[in-house]
Amino acid sequence: MNAPQPGAPMAEPPQPSPTADAATVAREELRAAMVRLAAGDSAALEEIYSATRVKLFGICFRILGDRKEAEDALQDVYVNLWQRADRYDPQRASPISWLATFARNRAIDRLRTGKVRGGAVPVEEAAPLPDETPLADALMVDAERDAQIHKCLKGLDDNAQTYIRAAFFEGRTYAQLAEAADVPLGTMKSWIRRGLMKLRACLEASEAA
Amino acid sequence: MSQETDIQRDDPMIAAEYALGLLEGEDLLEARGKAASDPAFAQRTAWWDNWFAPWTDEMPGAEPGAHVWDAIAARVSADEAQSPPSAASNVVLLDMERKLRRWQWTAGITSAAAALALALFVTAPGSAPVSEEAPLIAAADAPLMASIPIGDTPLRLGVTYIPASEEMLVSASGLSADGVHDHELWLVPADGSPLQSLGVVVPGEERRMTLPTEIASNVGDGVELVLTREPIGGKPDGVDAGPVVAQGALDAV
Repeated sequence: MNAPQPGAPMAEPPQPSPTADAATVAREELRAAMVRLAAGDSAALEEIYSATRVKLFGICFRILGDRKEAEDALQDVYVNLWQRADRYDPQRASPISWLATFARNRAIDRLRTGKVRGGAVPVEEAAPLPDETPLADALMVDAERDAQIHKCLKGLDDNAQTYIRAAFFEGRTYAQLAEAADVPLGTMKSWIRRGLMKLRACLEASEAA
Repeated sequence: MSQETDIQRDDPMIAAEYALGLLEGEDLLEARGKAASDPAFAQRTAWWDNWFAPWTDEMPGAEPGAHVWDAIAARVSADEAQSPPSAASNVVLLDMERKLRRWQWTAGITSAAAALALALFVTAPGSAPVSEEAPLIAAADAPLMASIPIGDTPLRLGVTYIPASEEMLVSASGLSADGVHDHELWLVPADGSPLQSLGVVVPGEERRMTLPTEIASNVGDGVELVLTREPIGGKPDGVDAGPVVAQGALDAV
């Protein structure tokens, strides 16, 4: 019999990041803080801010490509969060996934007001922030789902892969993508729509599996 | 062209386009409308969001300046002073400034209109309409009225709403057409969902209409109205609304 020994020593590389358990605890604390915020407890906002500002600022910066704009967007994200915390349904989404989406959407709103000059820079040219900070495990949305969507994306045509990701990372519209790629708008739409159709089928199949 | 016609742009696809932020103009307004009114669409958008969100793990984190939190804390405590959290769910009667600030933050408005409306507020603080004296509690079926000053002119656009019959009366009797523009009236839902068109204002006429339920359900005491300047015929599909030229609020009589 060689049943696995829970305490058996294993040759593991040193782990600088928190254990999965610590990440889970942090996540649940965040979820609880979101629920308290929705109930009107403004003190919960500071807790949420300290736990998530690095990730959400990174997102705002990625979309807006300008530190000052990203800081203004970040401000709006948390004030808006305080006002509309009741929109978050703790049963439905992980708090970090929801907050990441929320921050990206606010940053895109700001991008669309036209106050930002150039908007985001293309993926390859994105200048790193001088104070770039690695994300703690607790701030990672979901590695498993990330792997799955990558797998599904790989099944798409090259153009679809490139521009669906560009839309997400650069916050560009169909028209802006078409212009950047120097193709007619209809061509860009058809690349992306064809890709989205396949992507959806693949993701749904992975959920059913 | 055949390239495009063989792809069926169904709701799940529109939800993906909306989640990614690919849409603009009329398509965007339409998707926002769906997200606000159609739970299946909203759910599908959340489904895409959930799939796309892990991509944010590839965006490096960064430390914002310390002043950001100070600014957030200041705005939140100003907010709290104005409206205690216990009353947060009843946001119908906030003052004009707060509503405009909220408006800036919410997604449910074309950004150009938001920016312009805000600019208008900043440059013309004296033009805030009569909402301050509005009674705190209005009977649910009392008529609501707005008298909207038009720019620097002495003219006003009169809007009356009868909740019992869901009828709206728009009186533009003092106005005249310039032959180049039309003006379109919009309702600004208090919940931040997209602006809803109340149609083009016909100068010199009084128009009576019954509001569709999806608009009527957003009408309440204190709800904002804005008037935008558009090409003849009203806002064309696929472009953002024109500049906001006047604004007001519907208040209980």
